[in-house]
Amino acid sequence: MATLRDIKRKINSINSTQSITRTMKMVSATKLRRAQDAYEKIKDYAKKMENLVGRIITKLPKDTHPLLTEREEIKNVLIVAIASDRGLCGGFNSNIGLAVENFIAQNKDKYENIHVYVFGRKVRDYLARRKINIIKERLDVKLVGMDFSEEVASELIKFYIDGEYDKIYLIYTHFESAVKYVVRLEEFLPIMPSEEEYEGDYLYEPSREKIVNAIIPKFLSTKIYYAIVDSQTSEHAARMSAMENATKNCTEMVNTLTLIYNKRRQEGITKEMLDIVGGAEALKGT
Amino acid sequence: MSQLDLEIITPERVLVKEQVELLEAKSELGEFGILPGHIQFLTTVDIGEVRYVKDGKTYYIAAGGGFAEVVNDKILMLLESAEMADEIDIERAEVAKESAEAALKELSPDSPEYKIQETALNKAITRLSVASKKR
Repeated sequence: MATLRDIKRKINSINSTQSITRTMKMVSATKLRRAQDAYEKIKDYAKKMENLVGRIITKLPKDTHPLLTEREEIKNVLIVAIASDRGLCGGFNSNIGLAVENFIAQNKDKYENIHVYVFGRKVRDYLARRKINIIKERLDVKLVGMDFSEEVASELIKFYIDGEYDKIYLIYTHFESAVKYVVRLEEFLPIMPSEEEYEGDYLYEPSREKIVNAIIPKFLSTKIYYAIVDSQTSEHAARMSAMENATKNCTEMVNTLTLIYNKRRQEGITKEMLDIVGGAEALKGT
Repeated sequence: MSQLDLEIITPERVLVKEQVELLEAKSELGEFGILPGHIQFLTTVDIGEVRYVKDGKTYYIAAGGGFAEVVNDKILMLLESAEMADEIDIERAEVAKESAEAALKELSPDSPEYKIQETALNKAITRLSVASKKR
């Protein structure tokens, strides 16, 4: 049975854990604000770009651009999974890992090979433990710039053009609000025309081909950039709420333990009193 | 008089979202102007000056490369970078121009670095010339 001193020690240790989680929560809150800023900045641009590209490619005749052409036979599939290097953020990383695992389990029979291109140490470890084929990993991705996403995008484009992969998917966490984030699975390549119909064709200057060739890489790198920023924002939000919960749980535990501690102390005092009274009574008799 | 809905968006921010009467910018083939009633139009935008007229007043923007789309009197410009004339930091542009010029002297025109510096120089010159048109 735990002695008074053991309980006291336990309470102290929980208190110091709580001060750590509280600090981490505050740090995450600041980081969240910064990430959210970056996210808000790129949001409009990324969305308008997506719409514009959607409008342009619905007007293109079929099979004009290799990145827009769906291959008849899909053998090799690449999943780009974006998560983070660090833990202590609830289910953030394992949700991405799970989504990848599920995708592979569901599509195993359809395709010959499914490989993963991974962002973040935690998911890398998660997938490696499950013997999932990782072809490339990017760790320590912090504040990204456009040049970084351009590099990644051109890498992916090369994979597709060289025929190493016939389809590329993107899995990342989408930030909806500070308390809501969802895992998203999107088709990255080939680019699918949007469902909407747009009327009339454009007058192209200098030429349609030139515009399409210029806008597609730009669109893809914007998409990667947006997904990374989106994921980072979600990560900080997830960590913030995980730490908030941890802090709350600490308070609860300290309260319970303090109650036990006081009860136990009172019991000890009562017992000692009884001993003294009993002793005194016994002495009286002699 | 009918007007144009103009939106100029960069990865940094939404720079302009206004009703304007006229827009002029530079494409690969030279300058172009958009007035209400323009045909559906899609073009690349070069580094250079973008002007628009609102309530009879002309506004100047220093633009990096990008794309412009015109549909039903709505203009959408997606630019890599853009600054209003009165926001431009002239000293910084001067420094950028000098360093790009110095770098260009050292490099051979065939190296990939040459292109990057040339673009930087173009941007700096554009920013300086736009800044000088500040109201």
